[in-house]
Amino acid sequence: MTALEEVPVAAPQRAVAGRPARRGLRRREWLWGFAFIAPNGLGLLAFYIWPVFQTLYYSFTEWGAFGGHTWIGAENYAKLVSDPEVLKALKNTLLYAGLVLLGVPVSLVLAALINTPGLRGAAVYRVLYFLPVVTMPAAVGMVWRWLYNGDIGLINYVLSLVGIEGHHWVADPRFALYATAVVGIWMTVGYNMVIFAAGLKGIPKDLYEAAELDGAGPIRQFFSITLPMLSPTAFFVTVLTSIGALQVFDVIYLMLGSNSAALRNPAIDENQTIVFLFFERAFVDNDKGYAAAIAFVLLLVILLLTIVQFRAQKKWVHYA
Amino acid sequence: MSNRWWKAVAAAAVVVSAVACGGGGAESGGPVTLTYAIWDKDQQPAMEKIAQEYTKAHPDVTVKVQLTANKEYWTKLQTAVTGGSAPDVFWMNGPRIGLYASQGVLQPLDEQIAAAGVDTAAYPKSLVDLYTFEGKKYGLPKDYDTIGLWYNKALFDAAGVKHPDATWTWDDLKAAAAKLTDPAKGQFGIAAPADSQANYYNTIFQAGGTVISADGKKSGFGDPATVEGLKFWVDLIKAGSSPTVQQMSDTEPTQLFSSGKVAMYYGGSWEANGFAKNADLAGKVDVAPLPKGKKQAVVIHGLANVAYAKSKHPKQAADFAVFASGKQAQQIQAEAGAVISAYQGTQETWVKAYPQFHVQAFIDQVPNSVPLPRSKNTSAWAKHAEDLLLKAWTGEKDVADAAKELEKAVDEELGKEK
Amino acid sequence: MPERVARRTWPVHVVLVVGAVVMVAPLVWEFLTSVKSFGESVRVPPTILPEAWDWSNYTKVFHSIPFGQQLLNTVLMTAGRTVGQLLLCSMAAYAFARLAFPGRDLIFMLFLSVLMVPSQLFLIPQYQIMQELGWLNSLQALIVPGVFSAFGTFLLRQFFLSLPKDLEEAAGLDGANPLRIYWHIMLPLARPGLVALGILTVLWSWNDLMWPLVVNNDPERMTLSAGLATLKGEHFTDYPVLMAGSLLATLPVIVVFIVMQRRVLEGIAFTGTKG
Repeated sequence: MTALEEVPVAAPQRAVAGRPARRGLRRREWLWGFAFIAPNGLGLLAFYIWPVFQTLYYSFTEWGAFGGHTWIGAENYAKLVSDPEVLKALKNTLLYAGLVLLGVPVSLVLAALINTPGLRGAAVYRVLYFLPVVTMPAAVGMVWRWLYNGDIGLINYVLSLVGIEGHHWVADPRFALYATAVVGIWMTVGYNMVIFAAGLKGIPKDLYEAAELDGAGPIRQFFSITLPMLSPTAFFVTVLTSIGALQVFDVIYLMLGSNSAALRNPAIDENQTIVFLFFERAFVDNDKGYAAAIAFVLLLVILLLTIVQFRAQKKWVHYA
Repeated sequence: MSNRWWKAVAAAAVVVSAVACGGGGAESGGPVTLTYAIWDKDQQPAMEKIAQEYTKAHPDVTVKVQLTANKEYWTKLQTAVTGGSAPDVFWMNGPRIGLYASQGVLQPLDEQIAAAGVDTAAYPKSLVDLYTFEGKKYGLPKDYDTIGLWYNKALFDAAGVKHPDATWTWDDLKAAAAKLTDPAKGQFGIAAPADSQANYYNTIFQAGGTVISADGKKSGFGDPATVEGLKFWVDLIKAGSSPTVQQMSDTEPTQLFSSGKVAMYYGGSWEANGFAKNADLAGKVDVAPLPKGKKQAVVIHGLANVAYAKSKHPKQAADFAVFASGKQAQQIQAEAGAVISAYQGTQETWVKAYPQFHVQAFIDQVPNSVPLPRSKNTSAWAKHAEDLLLKAWTGEKDVADAAKELEKAVDEELGKEK
Repeated sequence: MPERVARRTWPVHVVLVVGAVVMVAPLVWEFLTSVKSFGESVRVPPTILPEAWDWSNYTKVFHSIPFGQQLLNTVLMTAGRTVGQLLLCSMAAYAFARLAFPGRDLIFMLFLSVLMVPSQLFLIPQYQIMQELGWLNSLQALIVPGVFSAFGTFLLRQFFLSLPKDLEEAAGLDGANPLRIYWHIMLPLARPGLVALGILTVLWSWNDLMWPLVVNNDPERMTLSAGLATLKGEHFTDYPVLMAGSLLATLPVIVVFIVMQRRVLEGIAFTGTKG
């Protein structure tokens, strides 16, 4: 789970300020403070913060077959910038994230529809749309791979009923990434819809009443009230969805992966993403030095895109 | 960069988070427990029985069989070796023995072999050689496998095609494959995946080509005869007699064969067990020797039991490794019928386990067999073969071009081996 | 009046029903395939309802992988991570929101920085740590790194900041120490926040794939997620069995979700507005 400090962190409300400063008391409070953050803090230090530096170091090393690593300077990075596999994976990752973001407006529309006043069965819809979110991605990948099967899959059968000839969606380099992105959307739409629905509830009703008096129809109301009022939520959802999509692994691993070298999916080379490549290098080929360098590329991409999104938000996000 | 710092922090964090973990005490003297790592679920019962037999003879030694799926087996083993905690005894294969033996991971077994009075002449010589490194035996063969032509009798009869036999040539196979193909029914004559051991290595040798030269220094992928062996398969796909690579990625060849969508399938002797148990195939399938090209040839490969050099109980580990490949164990394995035992005289038992198939075909081919190509670091060049040949199989690259490119890449990798 | 509403909402229903079919159809197909025989599952054109309901695929799952053990592993991992996170994160969040100590804001920024980093940057060293501790293929490897969370701390801190301070100050004047305030006053008040974090942690743990895949290779120590990935098989992919396994693995979470749907959806919405 990743989130960003989207809401500006509220200024810490200091309990100290209004109180007579008594040294002993304050020191006791310090001790309590440290004691309270220590377990989580030390754990984060050992398992999350220090590992980043360790990974940075690894990215300058080469690994032997049975452990042991030697410093090779920036060689991994030099290899990386001209490695067609990495560049392709980078392109695929960005394309995948872009495609999955198409699900954001869909979930906004769905949220608006579900919030229709007087709509019966809204709770049922909400549950049904949310089911893919709670379904295990490993299972999701397997089910969709089965649906996408070119010869015996349900999707091609349904298409054949309306006279469309299907493809081997997940084994064809031309379609595999799009097919995976459809699943990516399917898995995130319900989640985003729930967040949008909560955002919609927060919009004051009298705004709509006033607009109605002015003779604005539902479409105009949507664009002049709903959208601007909802823009902070939309921004949050967009950032969260894109960060998640840039790290896609599960569905790629299960839908495009293969059981053996002999039955390698012919689409995987053209459609693999950065994290899939990272996993293969780090834990299949044991090329952990190169994998570490790949991980830093991912960090760079995420940071750059997040900065761009935060810059862009000033133009379209309205904070009430 | 020191690792001590984070270790201290990690330890502290662990104590704080108070997560209980069971600790295993170190044994010294007394009863010994060995771990024996394998990857084939079908063979697990036989391996457990061998472990029990060993304990009967050595009451102070217990052997725990540890099963890991083949897909994870090597990654896990590599990790365990890196961490100094590999299983005491484990299965080894031809492509990896060079790496493991040369890196000091394995114990030489010569002493134990002599002590146990095992005669290595009782094993196929090519397999004993496969596991000999710089004059020392690092593993003792436990089984072997060759490849056969599995076919669906029902589909052959329905199409009025004569069943394959020992006289078949490449042309017979191609003709039959074409006749057995029926697009309307979604039926194909044969499955032609880009599989090295089951498919193209065999046809390369049948065409007179080579993969790795005898001295292990040069690749033979660019050799016109080798290219012919590769083309054999690509042509079958092009002719429409085999599903495309995409189709086989969506639905695996064994699945296609089991559901009667594919009439012929090049598969190892290891398939007998699964096919025999498959109710959908009962009475429908059989096996024949591989059709011959310029000459007859089949790839032979076998596993060996090896002992970990850094085992806590090196003596017992080596002793068990030898026992597990010895006559008594091989007899148990043969009776279970999952694989062909490597020990001379135990093959009959395996053949008798499958009266419904002509599995004798696998054993009859042994005189024409060629060992599975390997070098000291096989996986380094095998990766290139997977990449480039897949492109030839999909038709993205011309076979001869892909082979030439592959030869260059393999030569480069072989040059890195010392 | 009801008539007017009904007339106005029927186009909405049409759109939502079509959408719902798309969302649910894969899961329905998963179930239908799981009760077909292998032969029937690969037939063209496919049958929609099975000719004979074949429940044996569900027992086959238990023969193909140690499903019961993997279920237990998944439950223990999920429970361990969730309890750990709720405790550790609420403690840290309380301190960041209510106690004054030197370097507090700096340390909090350090916590936040973890949120910015993709998990692949921790993975290799985390794996190394497990290896050095001899924890590969163990339950603690599945649990321990997952009990520490920057996100949880952040989420709960936001929540604590939104709580009025009168109650705890009253208790503080009575001479209660922060531990008692935290345990007796703050935790009960923070229940909605804890529920939200708990739900997210359960979902994330139950479905986590890469970490369990990396640290535990022994089928007896795998989680369901990784077990399913290996059930995909070596040589033979039996789709009805795969679908049965997938469904079984997912079922516990789906049941919990349906039972607790209001809480779950509120929790998710909460992270959207508070997180």
